[in-house]
Amino acid sequence: MLKDKVALVTGGSRGIGRAIAMKLAEQGADIIINFFRHSQAAEQTARDVESLGVTAKAIKANVGNPEKIDEMFDTIESSFGRLDIFISNAASGLPSSALELDGKKWDWTMDINAKAFLFCTQRAVKLMEGRDGKIVTISSLGSHLALPGYVAIGISKATLEALTRYLAIELAPKGICVNGVAASYVTTESGLIYAKAAQEQLGGTPAWQTTPAGRAVAPEDVANVVAFLCSEEAQMIRGQILTIDGGFSLVP
Amino acid sequence: MSAIEETVKDTIVKIVHCEREILTPKSTFQDMKADSLDMVQVLVALEDEFDIEIPDEDAQKFQTFGDFVSYVEKRVAEKKGDA
Repeated sequence: MLKDKVALVTGGSRGIGRAIAMKLAEQGADIIINFFRHSQAAEQTARDVESLGVTAKAIKANVGNPEKIDEMFDTIESSFGRLDIFISNAASGLPSSALELDGKKWDWTMDINAKAFLFCTQRAVKLMEGRDGKIVTISSLGSHLALPGYVAIGISKATLEALTRYLAIELAPKGICVNGVAASYVTTESGLIYAKAAQEQLGGTPAWQTTPAGRAVAPEDVANVVAFLCSEEAQMIRGQILTIDGGFSLVP
Repeated sequence: MSAIEETVKDTIVKIVHCEREILTPKSTFQDMKADSLDMVQVLVALEDEFDIEIPDEDAQKFQTFGDFVSYVEKRVAEKKGDA
């Protein structure tokens, strides 16, 4: 379904990003795996992607730094010359309350989680010229729910979602679809850190393990929806943030 | 003092905003008043500066400024050995 397409997944070495890379590769796309600090994980993911019969390339770049974004896209341009799919997945942040949140943590989180989406998109669009591009952002329920310790990331994800809507309209005439997904607690290393913080603060049953759907959200659940948003079947979905939480956010 | 030690010191001072004089081989991250984000930013800056990788598992073992410098010196030497 995605044969001959080229997809960039930022933060693609581990967790949700890795699951998305694998899913898009299964559907035939060549995959560029951006990573920041985990080269071994990135190389492993690249090998796993290649085992599916497509091309993989791992590129190190801190997407929180606009100069590194430019270097990454220069490499993509010289190696592939085009881009069909851009998944803005890279994210970082540290647990904090609002009153403890200082400017440095704010900037770090916003730069990687929100600003990077804008600057990457500005470069990605040039490589998508005339190619029916797809852009998908990875948000979280913390953009509109007050999750314990999650304020810094929550704010950045709210920004990401707003930008998703603006870009969906601005890029529609270029034939580029822009959407996002927002998951609840996902069974990744970082997802479990915030899940534990929530349990410590709120107590009671660990709700992320017992969603109405009966289990926690896995990275593959997110990847499946992202793949759908990258398909032609999703052509008339624009600027939306699809929730993937097994019903978690509907239960008081 | 080695050139690597000087660079590590410059990096920490720039990111953590601590006094240069407090950075001795035995000074701890508490002495520097460095928080976890400071440490990540120092690691990232040093990885870029020396073109090395400092895995989190290794970084978690650092207790003092001296540990930091020794590790970077070792990795840089290994890299030169590979070249």
